[in-house]
Amino acid sequence: MEKGRSLVRWTGIGLAFLLIAITGMRVQGVEAPYKEPEGLRADILVIDTLKVFGELERPAVLFLHDQHTDALEKQEKGCKTCHLKDASFTLIPDTLDEAIRRIDPLSPKFKRLKDESRQEVMDIYHDECIGCHTRTADEGYESGPVTCGECHQKEPEVVSVRQEMGMDLSLHYRHVKAREKKCGVCHHKFDEIKDQLFYAKGEEGSCRYCHREVKEENRISMRLASHVACVNCHRDMVDQQKETGPIRCAGCHSEKMQARIKKVDPLPRMERNQPDAVFVNITETAEMSADMKARMAAVPFDHKAHETYNDTCRVCHHEGLETCSTCHTLAVAPDAGKKVNLEQAMHQENTKTSCIGCHMMEQAPKECAGCHNFMPKDRKQDDAFCKVCHSVAPAQAAAADKDEESQKAANVLEARKTRMDPIPESEIPETVTIKAIEKEFEPAIMPHRKIIDRLQKGVASSKLADHFHTDRATLCQGCHHNTPPAVKPPKCSNCHGKPFSEKKPIMPGLMAAYHRQCMECHKNMGIEKPAAVDCAGCHKEKKK
Amino acid sequence: MSISRRRFLSWMGAAGAGTAALARPGHSATTQHFEGYADAGAVLFDSVICIGCRRCEAACNRVNDLPAPERPFDDLTVLDERRRTHWDSYMVINKYYPNGKENPPVYGRMGCNHCLEPACASACFVRAFDKAPTAAVTYDETVCVGCRYCMVACPFEIPTYEYHKVISPRISKCTFCHPRLEKGLLPGCVEACPTEALTFGTREDIIATAKERIRRHPDRYIDHVYGEKEMGGTSWLYLSGVPFSQVGKREDLGYIAAPKLTSGALAAVPIVVGLWPVLLTGIYAVSKRREKIAKEEKENAVAQAISAEKAEAEANLTQEKEKAKKDKEAAVEKAVKKALEDAAKEAEEAGKKDSEEES
Repeated sequence: MEKGRSLVRWTGIGLAFLLIAITGMRVQGVEAPYKEPEGLRADILVIDTLKVFGELERPAVLFLHDQHTDALEKQEKGCKTCHLKDASFTLIPDTLDEAIRRIDPLSPKFKRLKDESRQEVMDIYHDECIGCHTRTADEGYESGPVTCGECHQKEPEVVSVRQEMGMDLSLHYRHVKAREKKCGVCHHKFDEIKDQLFYAKGEEGSCRYCHREVKEENRISMRLASHVACVNCHRDMVDQQKETGPIRCAGCHSEKMQARIKKVDPLPRMERNQPDAVFVNITETAEMSADMKARMAAVPFDHKAHETYNDTCRVCHHEGLETCSTCHTLAVAPDAGKKVNLEQAMHQENTKTSCIGCHMMEQAPKECAGCHNFMPKDRKQDDAFCKVCHSVAPAQAAAADKDEESQKAANVLEARKTRMDPIPESEIPETVTIKAIEKEFEPAIMPHRKIIDRLQKGVASSKLADHFHTDRATLCQGCHHNTPPAVKPPKCSNCHGKPFSEKKPIMPGLMAAYHRQCMECHKNMGIEKPAAVDCAGCHKEKKK
Repeated sequence: MSISRRRFLSWMGAAGAGTAALARPGHSATTQHFEGYADAGAVLFDSVICIGCRRCEAACNRVNDLPAPERPFDDLTVLDERRRTHWDSYMVINKYYPNGKENPPVYGRMGCNHCLEPACASACFVRAFDKAPTAAVTYDETVCVGCRYCMVACPFEIPTYEYHKVISPRISKCTFCHPRLEKGLLPGCVEACPTEALTFGTREDIIATAKERIRRHPDRYIDHVYGEKEMGGTSWLYLSGVPFSQVGKREDLGYIAAPKLTSGALAAVPIVVGLWPVLLTGIYAVSKRREKIAKEEKENAVAQAISAEKAEAEANLTQEKEKAKKDKEAAVEKAVKKALEDAAKEAEEAGKKDSEEES
């Protein structure tokens, strides 16, 4: 129901804009109308309002909002054709409040303010829709359906291609700039005593921290909040003949239009008093027992650099802008955030919100996948690996205040040598001739140095690789696995000695070790030639 | 015959119920689950690793001395067609596109899975099939009568038949390279596989290996080892990155071994074969005896009747004879008397010419 209501409200807002746009102020092109291919629409509203009163008797109606906006525009009619004036909005402080007041807020519902009864709502839709369609047709305009099945379609002719919309750092920056850093235009908090919204400087966060999927307590859903805030403000800008963002559905929700949204490059850093660097550890307090104090070495974290790796702060700060350990404590507790302890929050795989989870996702590109896909998931890392991050003893990480901590962490990061010198070419064999198990085929000549060059090139611009490839021979471990990094690592046949070992089926024999290592790496790195079944591509068949 | 049809059928019914009741302990005795011979081999086919090179097929053909195929083994366009096992191909690799033609294909193997409790063996009434300690389900052509029940029984539709041979056609299916296993060699296909998509080891190790592969790369595999439990467990096991039904494996077979499904009915066979003849012979003997007694009685009665009749007839005859004798004597007497009278009359008439004879 909330969905339907918000959609209808959105409709109202859109139509309200239209009215203004048409009656008087001709505005410069807000958005070049974009048409999706036949049948694919980003503006579908599902009218299933009667659901709240019980089962639907007929299929829900798919309403094309942009189509109606366009049709009314042709007839020189506006939003008020469908939406009634509604003064009961909870207003947002500062300029957005002004904007909404200026443009006369309309109810998002169709021709009503409230859903009173099943019969009444049904009658409104039937009378008003069919009535308008009939009148429009009489007036000689292209018009909509008037029979039941044309609206209540069992198998709708249109498919929704609506994309989620969100504000990334670039779009945020454009708003910051346009609003001259007046954050209160959008950001607000709720004063429970005064029962009103207010702006709290320095406490801004993502809208989604309070406005969730659906309405919670007095907080309207994210969907409604964004439509009320974004669209109303855009309408007001249009009203004032200023350049502004989209108003039609497709403007934000079609993939093609989203791609047209300008990106700021280079993107200036967000100003929210965030530190350049921090130590990820437990903030120790005097009342903590010795047991609760951190025992693991602290992790110096380059916050400033990580800001640029994601589109939004929300990727890591998924519930708020506080430090991770505010919610993710050492021990698991029943509260929502504390169900995931700090260790898991930082190390869990398959999630973008943990360090290791995100780093592992960064191994997906084909430059990395050749080696990393081969490595078992969820494997026990050796101690040296932990120390790559956990490098500062808790005592050394202790700081009197945040600035000192940030400075200390930044110093550690600065002092860290980021890139290993490559192994000199002379020490790398140029080719390796594989002839140990030569039988049906002639020996294969492997371009050993070329392979290393390719791997080195792939990671050349990766700071992540620089950080975790701690030895100059780390890259060699992609093939020479299960052995410490060394310039002269053991040969394949040292371990995969026998062609087949019944005693150890998990370890492939030499033939399979060669084939699998080469083929899997080629597959993962997107190297198509030679094909896996093209035997002669690597070794010629012996003449019989 | 004093047995009515109705009575016969009711006896038969009672006999049937009796054998069924007797069969019950026999049934439970056969449902002991066979976990396979200790240290018996097993093969893991990993369709995530298989590259579809057909070298296993070529090796199979070579080690089993099968006729050369129409198209050579390095012709990979053969894979474009869905194939099945044939009398001259014990195993085939098939190519599937579970993720659509635009994505890389996945390969599946079709061949004997060497069940721990083979359906073919349980269906064979001459015991041509045997689960050998090497794990191979072997076939003995010398006892096979060619009934092809095994082909019907196999849930994987593996055994094939040499229909083209007029004299002594054989069933043909993967032998698990039983002779090679006995010599300590690997099955031909496993030895030839360049990537160890086919792996050989003890069944225990193979299952552990399969599970370890799933654990190491949960993103690549479906978390299931096909054949670990299917049809009571098989000695050929399979890993896949897509649902097994999409690489030609039946997922509707369940975990119960085929022989177990039929053991109830089949366990009754010895009882039926052993007991019913006794019962039927008994019934036959009883009825036979009754018939015999009735016959004897009838014969006695007849004999008695005959002798009585005879005696009566004889008595009648003597009576008749005596009566006839008497009549004759009387007639003679009468004739004599008349002759005497006639003689007297003649004498009286003395000159009369005509005389008449009397008897």
